[in-house]
Amino acid sequence: MRWWLLIVVLLVAPDSRAGRRLPEYRYFRALSIDLTGRPPTRAELAELEQPGFDLDAWIATHLGGAGYAERVRRVYMDLLRLEVGPSFAFVPNPLELRRHEILGPAGPENVYFRRGQRRVDPATDGDFCLTADETGQQFPTNAAPIGTAKPVSQATLDARTVLVKPWWLYADYRAALPSDRVAPDWSKRFPGFAPVPGLLVEPDGKTPTTQVRVCREEAQTTETGAVYASGRAGVKKGEPPPAGRLTQPPGDAGFARTNKGRAVSCLSGTGFQSSVECGCGVGLERCVPGAGFVNEPPAFVLPTHTPLGGDAPFESTPQPAAAWERLWWSEEAKHFLDKILLDDRDFRELLTSRATVVNGPLAQFYRFFAGATCCGASADLGYADPTPLVEPAAIPEALVPEDTATWLAVGDRGPYAAGILTMPIFLTKYGSRRARAHVVYSAFLCRDFVADAVRLAPSSEPDLTKRPGCATCHQTLEPMAAYFTRVMESDWTYLPADKLPMAHPACSKAKGQPGACKTIYDPAFPTTLRGAYASQGNAEAGPAGLAAAIAGSPELAPCVAETIAGSLLGRPLAPEDAAWKAELAKTFVAGGYRMRALVKAIVTSARYRDGNDARRQ
Amino acid sequence: MRAGALVLALAACGPAVIAPSATQPLPPHRELAVDTTPKQRPRMMPAEVYLRAYMMWFGGLAPLEVQARARGRQLFDAWDDYLAALGLPDYRIDLPRQTQSNTLMLAAFGRLGEALCVRAVEHDLHDARTPPDQRVVFAFEPIARPSEAQFDERFDVLHRGFLGYPAALAPADRAKRYYALFTQVAAHHPAKPKTPLTGEETAWAAVCAALIQHPETGLY
Repeated sequence: MRWWLLIVVLLVAPDSRAGRRLPEYRYFRALSIDLTGRPPTRAELAELEQPGFDLDAWIATHLGGAGYAERVRRVYMDLLRLEVGPSFAFVPNPLELRRHEILGPAGPENVYFRRGQRRVDPATDGDFCLTADETGQQFPTNAAPIGTAKPVSQATLDARTVLVKPWWLYADYRAALPSDRVAPDWSKRFPGFAPVPGLLVEPDGKTPTTQVRVCREEAQTTETGAVYASGRAGVKKGEPPPAGRLTQPPGDAGFARTNKGRAVSCLSGTGFQSSVECGCGVGLERCVPGAGFVNEPPAFVLPTHTPLGGDAPFESTPQPAAAWERLWWSEEAKHFLDKILLDDRDFRELLTSRATVVNGPLAQFYRFFAGATCCGASADLGYADPTPLVEPAAIPEALVPEDTATWLAVGDRGPYAAGILTMPIFLTKYGSRRARAHVVYSAFLCRDFVADAVRLAPSSEPDLTKRPGCATCHQTLEPMAAYFTRVMESDWTYLPADKLPMAHPACSKAKGQPGACKTIYDPAFPTTLRGAYASQGNAEAGPAGLAAAIAGSPELAPCVAETIAGSLLGRPLAPEDAAWKAELAKTFVAGGYRMRALVKAIVTSARYRDGNDARRQ
Repeated sequence: MRAGALVLALAACGPAVIAPSATQPLPPHRELAVDTTPKQRPRMMPAEVYLRAYMMWFGGLAPLEVQARARGRQLFDAWDDYLAALGLPDYRIDLPRQTQSNTLMLAAFGRLGEALCVRAVEHDLHDARTPPDQRVVFAFEPIARPSEAQFDERFDVLHRGFLGYPAALAPADRAKRYYALFTQVAAHHPAKPKTPLTGEETAWAAVCAALIQHPETGLY
């Protein structure tokens, strides 16, 4: 009888492989694609076929993984497109160390310099630190040297230049005797950090570079410099440059004339432009190198595409230092978003948080580079030392510039920080105040501006909230754009209220107004900063005010639910989905605006499981 | 009289008047929930997922390692030539993600599939150089001139790997059609080929390439 019982048991026991139906396999494959970022492996299919397989537990496990975070991040990256291309050329003169090849006593060698570097000697002020008499050559901007090189004496080199062990060659460049020089193991310690070969070898193409020769002024390390005014008379139009120069030496700006001798930060563009004491700092850490003299010389070998993340790069090519900066600005936003998703934090922090995450290149940017674009014409109105959007003191000092792999949390960037809204990638991707407001309106409220069907008539009305034909959209857009009044367009320079009040007395003068009264302030609305006319309250609230407004909007949760559900279903939500969308939004809010609960509600719903006909067979 | 009696008799046999009853719903036989949610055809796998799957099928290699291995005999050149065609967005230039296929994309899938399958055959099957437990695509023991049943068993391994479900659940003639492909390719390759692969190895590469280009591989 026992054989008979065995047959009965075999007939009654579920055949797991045969038991799984095609829709179940397809549902599992969809889950795998959306939550792990790849189709299931054969081993995972075998697990699925096990009798005790717990799909809910599998979903819960993978909702905390990197694949899930990447999937959701991709939804918002597709909306925000937070990468900038070469059209945004970030090559401020204070940062860019270019080089000329000269003939030294022992043969060709490179000398690094900054365009526009202030020097006391009028023969070299604002230019290369060696003259035509000394080198036998003239060095035009962005063009090959003119003339025949002659050996530069050692005495001249010693007088005009110094040797430095720079940050791109030494990880311990701040040590008294740096010794941790770039080596093959750096590719593992600092993945992705690869200076172009030209930065690592001498002009002979084979001798490893162990130190670089830099113009003496560029090698200075002081934090502040005294404002320098040459006292030179202004150059008349058509007047030829002084003998031996191809260009006129820089004149004295109004700021320099009125503030001569005053201390100015060497981390600011104003310091670079108006002091002969400001250099690139210890180990040249305030500057980025370029292997050439052109506008954007090659600096780093970078991947052209990283669709699978920075740790799985595709082809790499030599690119300028600006590409290096752009890459890490973008990575900051991605890592910040990943942290919110992986830690399952309140999704509204994407807009409101004062925290961020940084690695070595970003730490270098925030500590040494960010001030370089400040303060331009604002200096004439008294704004010469930048008020940072991100406090340099908040950035961990332990990160060396080449440390691409270590990402550290920054708890509080400062009082003006607001999620991605104050990150360089956002502020440069969306250069204008209106573009910034528009993308936030669209991505986080799921609304857009649709022009009214009116005939446009000529109008001299400067207020777009009133101008016929414009008002339909701009009544909403202008007050939102006003939140970005105090962040310069295509830049991250903050315009502080104590230096640049909403109405500046200097700009109310009938004559002799500084130039900033037309660039920082709006001549069409004389009492306001540019962009603030529609709402001075919003202008003072800043990006954090916009973040708070969006985070408090009842439209945010339905919009996030619609965006995520639409992406996971692979179709825009239809009117028939309205009740479900409302339910999802409720789940999202009840879960503390945490994404994991929302995604779980979507992927376990019948709409997702039976999302297409193939899964219903 | 007889006629009158007949009429009376017929009248007596006429139907009785029946009063209409109230309508009652039919008792339920079984309940079916009507699914009114919108449906659509399967959608494209995101390009990133395809790429990650591709790396996985290549044995978990990094993109540049895949490129190095796939190159040769004009099977593959460089990733940069394919990435845009696969539908990846390029945020730098605001190029959006492609959500519909196109001929260029399908050609790219085809070329990538061929490169993968030929290299995988070389790695997994040729000269039995890789132990069975380390084979990444052809995780089975090949057999010379397999019968249809023997082929089906091995085909199922590929089917699960690329399409994510057993071949037994596929349309009935699928395995048969792939077996026909296998036998045709094997038959049309000479016994001593100029290429490094044998006829049957080439046939397995063809089956793999056809399967990886199957619409279901890239859809979900």
